[in-house]
This record gives sequence, C-alpha cells and structure tokens, in this order.
Amino acid sequence: MTRVDEDFAAETENGQLHEPWVFLTMLDQMSTSEVNIGFIYSVLDLLARRYNLTDAVVVLRDEALGTQTFRLGQKSLASDSPASLATAPGLFSEPDIVPNVVRDVVRNVCQLALTLHLARHSADHDPLTSIANRRHFDAALRNASVQSARYGWAFTLVLIDLNGFKAVNDRLGHAVGDDMLRSFGWALRRSVRSGDTTARLGGDEFAIILANAEGSEVLAFTERLRSLLVSIPELDFSVGTATSPGDSTDPAELYRIADGRLYEKKGIVLR
Amino acid sequence: MTSTIEEDFELELRSLPGVLSVGINHRESGEVDAVVLSVRNQDPETVRESAVQVASLYYPDASVILEEAVGVQQMRSEVTARITLARFDFNEHDGVSEVHLTYAGKTGVGRAGSGPLIGGSEATLGALRDLGHVIPFYLMGVTKVETVVGYSVIVALRSLSADDDRMGIALAEGDLESSAKATLDALNRYVSMSSDRQRDGSASGDGYGSGEIVPSQPDVMSNGQYEYE
Repeated sequence: MTRVDEDFAAETENGQLHEPWVFLTMLDQMSTSEVNIGFIYSVLDLLARRYNLTDAVVVLRDEALGTQTFRLGQKSLASDSPASLATAPGLFSEPDIVPNVVRDVVRNVCQLALTLHLARHSADHDPLTSIANRRHFDAALRNASVQSARYGWAFTLVLIDLNGFKAVNDRLGHAVGDDMLRSFGWALRRSVRSGDTTARLGGDEFAIILANAEGSEVLAFTERLRSLLVSIPELDFSVGTATSPGDSTDPAELYRIADGRLYEKKGIVLR
Repeated sequence: MTSTIEEDFELELRSLPGVLSVGINHRESGEVDAVVLSVRNQDPETVRESAVQVASLYYPDASVILEEAVGVQQMRSEVTARITLARFDFNEHDGVSEVHLTYAGKTGVGRAGSGPLIGGSEATLGALRDLGHVIPFYLMGVTKVETVVGYSVIVALRSLSADDDRMGIALAEGDLESSAKATLDALNRYVSMSSDRQRDGSASGDGYGSGEIVPSQPDVMSNGQYEYE
C-alpha cells in the first residue's frame, strides 16, 4: 500500500471504519432517489447516536433555496438551538464535540443530499405550478398504459385547456397570467386523489391521470375542480378525456383521442 | 426516515421565500400534526398564506405555525456587520488625530497625538481596541508613495508576540483617511478571524468575514477588496 492509500484507507488496522467513512458509506448504501431531505435527518440521527449529541443542526446553502437549516429529529429551529452559533454553512452540535473532519464530511454529505433532491425535483416538476412537468407525466402515462394493457387496470387520461387564457394574459399582463396558472395548478392538486398524477404540459395545457376512474369519477373530478375555481371567473377550461383500456392502451393514441375530444368541445376541428 | 410525500412537502415549504427551516411534529399515529416554519426577511402573513395552501395539499389537518427566526436573524446581521471608518479628524490646534470606527451598532474612538499619517494609524488601532478587539500589533512605520493616481499611504504593523508583520495600503483624499484605511487594510484578515473567535468561541468559522473591515468609501487602490492573506 502506498503512502497515499494509507491516508485514504477506509478502515483502521482492526477493521473499524474511520469515522468520516461511516457517513460516506451511508451514501454508498442508498440508491440515488433515497439521497434526499429525509437522508439529511438520517445522517444527523446517526451522528447524534455516535457522539451522544442532544442536538445537531446543519446549515446549508443552495442557490435556489438560500440558506436552509436542518435540525436533528425534524425539530423546528428554536432560538436556543446550536444554530444560533451558525455564521455560515456548517454543522453545529450540542455538546460541541464532533471532530472537524467529521463535521466537514457530514456537512458535505448533507449538502449533496439537498442538491440531489432539488435536482431531481426540478427535473420532474413545473416550477410555476409545482405539479409534474411533461417529462414526468409521459413516464407516468407509459407506466399506467403498460399496467392497463397487462392487468386491465383502468385509468382516464384527462387533458385540460384553459379557455381564453391568451386574452387574459394580453389584457391583464403576464404576472396575473402566472398567478392564474399557479391557482389552477393548486386547484388541480386539491381536486385529485392521492395516486392520481397531475401535470402542466406547457402554456395553458394540463393533463391528469385519474387512476381507477371512468365516467362518473371523471365528472366528479371536473366538478370538484370547477367548485375550487369559482372565485376566479376568468379561469374557464375545456376537458377532453380518453380511457384505458377502453379507448386504447397506447399512450400516443390516448393523447390523440383525448386531444380530439378536447378540441371538439372547443369547436375546433383538428386536421 | 421520512416518507417521500413528507419530503416533497418539506421541500415545497422550504421553497417558499423566506423559509429558513421546517420543523414537522407528528402525532403518535405518525401523521403530521403541525409544521413550524422559521421565517426571516419576509412578511410572515404572506408566508403563512402560502404555507397553509401547500399544507392543504398534503396534510389538510395539519396546523401551520410560524416563528420569526430572531436568533438566526441576529446572527445573520452580525455576519453582515462590518467595521466601518465613520469619522476621522485632525485637529491642527492641538495636533491630535481622531478616528471613529463603527461595528454592529457600536462606535469605537481612538486618538493619537501625532500628525495625520502616524496619528491616523495609531488612532485607528486605538479605535479598534475601543471596539473590544485585542490588537497585538504596534505601528512600525508609515510611508507615503507617489503613484500615477496620487499619494498612497503604506502602513506596516509589527506583532507583539510573533514574527507576523502586516502591511496595508490605501489611497484616499487626505493623509489621515489614507493612513486609517491602510491600517484597517493591514489588519483586515486578523480582525475578521478575531471576530469569529470572539463570537462563537471556536476557530472553525468558514471565514465569511464577520468583522471584515470596510472603509466608509470605496478605496481606489484596493478596489474594494479588503480581505486578503
């Protein structure tokens, strides 16, 4: 073993992991999707157990979120927490006995977890409405279609288009338009059940996968949605649906059918 | 580990402007009972409104509690506090140089019975000590150097305890101001580290420069970059 290898050896001579590696190997044991905000609390929890800490706070910085603090046990940030010592990103504990090298490794592992979670989230979500984006929705639709074809599980693809949204945007400005899209996204999320998928496909077009839903459930969904939007009269919408496996089990075909029905209702003929 | 839904919930709350921290309280059954948001630099009511809306999507029964991150806010303002050259004056009548420095709302005053060049530096050292800093340096020399843009003042300080000389340079309108700024320039890194030690009782600060010295006006020679090794 070279001198450099010795310096970076993960284990001591008696086979114990060097302390920083205990936290690094946590990453190794996780799939990428598990390295997220919850993982940060797990790291703090392990740290607290290894050093008998009564409290621990890690302060991280992110370009999008700004400064963020995470406290052991998902506790809120009280003014008497060790974070009152925090002057910059770092790890703060009570008692203050964590070696600097462990402190740095833990902070970096936590920073990585936050960054990964955010990167994953922004890859799948529409930043304006916080619902899924087209990329995520297409993957969900593919999965649902495969299961529908294989097991006969029913679902309905709902496409929604806001009526006259461009005119609203032109008349009231883009800021108001954005607010309306946000409100619509929120109403959509309130209207669906857990297990359904909502997405903004782009512009004023939205899509939903209503799991185990046909006819009456779809109607109930649109009624819930309308009732939530009653305070925003400018927000009117048209709906087109396609049901799987009834209409098709092919995602592209489902899109085409739902789109055709949507434009039919709007009185537009697709060529 | 928290559930994925709970993690997305927390991330969404953390994405709200001004949210610094999210605490989640669970019932014995494991359901989310309340969320406590630490908020700073934002209208709490606006944040609460958005947070309630987000919570209604994930946990409609959960209550939303907001706390202003007072401790943290104070801490942050300390971080951004800078030692500033507030006033300087040479009294020709009695030959005394006087320098006023401010830091985090406090003012330190130093006086020296010498001319503007030497007196400016000694008065600055006095003002720093008046602010509570331990400054184990004494003035070794002050030199004025002609440059293309005017006369710069160079200050050399010698450490009382170690072979640790510090030098600073500044160009301002008058000798006293240049000398004071050059002294601050010389001590920049030292005072920055000293403030970290004073504040958190450790030397593990990440060097974000609490106590970093900033003259009241931009300095031509150092182009505003006062922190250097």
